[in-house]
Amino acid sequence: MKGGPAERLDPRAITLWRITGALNMLPLLVGACFAALGLLRFGDGSVLFGVLLVLAVVVLAGVVVGVVPGMRWRRWRYEIRSDEVDLQRGIFWISRTLVPLARIQHVDTRQGPLQRRFGLSTVVFYTAAGPNQIPELSTPIAAEARDRIAELTREQDEL
Amino acid sequence: MSSEKHLHPVGMLVGAISTLRRWISGLVLPGVFLLVSQGFSLWTVTLFLLGVIVVAVLAALWGFLSWRATTYAVTGNSFRLRQGVFQKSERTIPLDHVQSVDTVQGIIQRPFGVYEVRIETAGGGVSDPDASLSALDRDAVQTLRREIEGSQIERSEERMGPTILRRLSTRELLVAGATSGQIGVAFSVLAIGFQFLDNFFPEDFVRRLAETLAPNWLMVVLILVPVGLLLAWLLAIGGTVLAYTGFTLSREGDFLYIKRGLLERREATIPLARIQAVRISEGLLRQPFGLCSLRVESAGYGEDAGVSATLFPLLPRDEVGEFLAVAAPEFAVAPTLKPLPRRSLRRYVFRATFVYLIIAFAAAPLSLLVLQSALGLLAPFLILPAAAYGWLCYRDAGWALEEDRLVVRYRSLGRKTAVAPRRRLQSRGVTRNPFQRRARLATFLAEVASGSGGSALRIRDLDAGAAETLAGDLGPGAHLERA
Repeated sequence: MKGGPAERLDPRAITLWRITGALNMLPLLVGACFAALGLLRFGDGSVLFGVLLVLAVVVLAGVVVGVVPGMRWRRWRYEIRSDEVDLQRGIFWISRTLVPLARIQHVDTRQGPLQRRFGLSTVVFYTAAGPNQIPELSTPIAAEARDRIAELTREQDEL
Repeated sequence: MSSEKHLHPVGMLVGAISTLRRWISGLVLPGVFLLVSQGFSLWTVTLFLLGVIVVAVLAALWGFLSWRATTYAVTGNSFRLRQGVFQKSERTIPLDHVQSVDTVQGIIQRPFGVYEVRIETAGGGVSDPDASLSALDRDAVQTLRREIEGSQIERSEERMGPTILRRLSTRELLVAGATSGQIGVAFSVLAIGFQFLDNFFPEDFVRRLAETLAPNWLMVVLILVPVGLLLAWLLAIGGTVLAYTGFTLSREGDFLYIKRGLLERREATIPLARIQAVRISEGLLRQPFGLCSLRVESAGYGEDAGVSATLFPLLPRDEVGEFLAVAAPEFAVAPTLKPLPRRSLRRYVFRATFVYLIIAFAAAPLSLLVLQSALGLLAPFLILPAAAYGWLCYRDAGWALEEDRLVVRYRSLGRKTAVAPRRRLQSRGVTRNPFQRRARLATFLAEVASGSGGSALRIRDLDAGAAETLAGDLGPGAHLERA
């Protein structure tokens, strides 16, 4: 296997991930607050227990919003070579995936409502075994990547 | 090529019965409710019977009408199916999109000697339509097959009819059932059955029955467990007999044909070109006797596209090479497998014992203190067998890349060996977690297409360098570099 992939995702991805992380943590935080309140009102548990619960969730949220997006962005790399797409990602479990262009059936770009605000898009390409994606590229670069994959896939078919 | 054809008249019956089946769920509840709430008076029973008759007549009428409306034809280069009583539909499938023509003989079709024909399309697209004809007699099936496949296979003079590769004997069938290892599944079915009984009979009855049968709980356990196991085992044998009676594998050119089933006779076609991987599975009860079963992963195949299909249900392990050489030669390799490095043994044992370690260290004291039960103290005794299982998983794991085919052996309860040609791999991946990084180990994963999704060939904890080399060697460029 050659050296790791070279291209990075768009840096705006970090902010986007912070926002989605915060949105994901919100219900948990609310739940923890209610649980703590419930403990105070009806349980005979001490105040300490409720505070600890909320604190734990706040720390978790801090990690998810503050630390994880940056680490994730630093790890995420991709490269579209002439014969395969190379992906690297993951914080604890670092995965490297190689998908031969000859196996790619079709490729799209997609954009969620939050991504649209940031001008980011996700490239999704499908093999017979399922989809793979390169998330959070700036929209013009994503379109370029999509067209390049489609073009190279066609060339592979002609070979 | 041919004109519009109707189904066999049994199609009316099939249509009527399937309509009844659809309606019945909506009718049973009000019917039973009526009987129960109003009591079994002459009036309610008459009303009930009248309802049944009306429904049956309507279903029969619907069966007839839909039979009359259903016609099929092979014209030019496409198969056309017209359906629908009120809402007419016409479906056209180009013949070169047809992947296989399968037949199923259900319990209704069987006494009349007719078949349900399923036309499966290639392309793996969900939007691609499949067509099903509910009743055709043997001649009609053969004519249709000839018309459809005739366009695909041009060298018709070479067609000799399929040659039978292997047939499952009655003895093998019973052995397959007895060693199927489906006991767990059967056991859960039994458990549901017991629960049903428990709900159905008054509580008192069950307790009294239990009390007369066994005076104390030890007796209950000693009697119920073996009886339950025996019943589950018999159920597993029964299931195997239902599914695999008369299992016959034959091959003609590039197509494999499978016939099987006791009550419902199924005939399936597997084009060799669509087989992505073969898995040899030596179940826990089979490995000691040197037996195994074979499955194929095939892409976008059949109605139940999500699952892989049984290629042969029971086979001596040492005949597999010979068998595959005639059935699916592309997959007939038996290389010597490379073992994992010794340092991965620790990870295998840890993975197997992890859960029990947690239970032993955390749950055992907790169960003593909180639940006042000594049950948690059993956990440490489970660590030893779990560790032994981990060691087995390590010992059985192995891999090889030979003649462009990837072979991976692993254990998940039973020992499995998967074979996939390089050109069938959809993607390769190497994953490392922090512990693996410290030990210079990695997990290798290759995906093949299976059904509508994918299925993975995974090697856990092989040398990190070897994993990277393997991923590179399986790449598109490597082929040319070596040549």
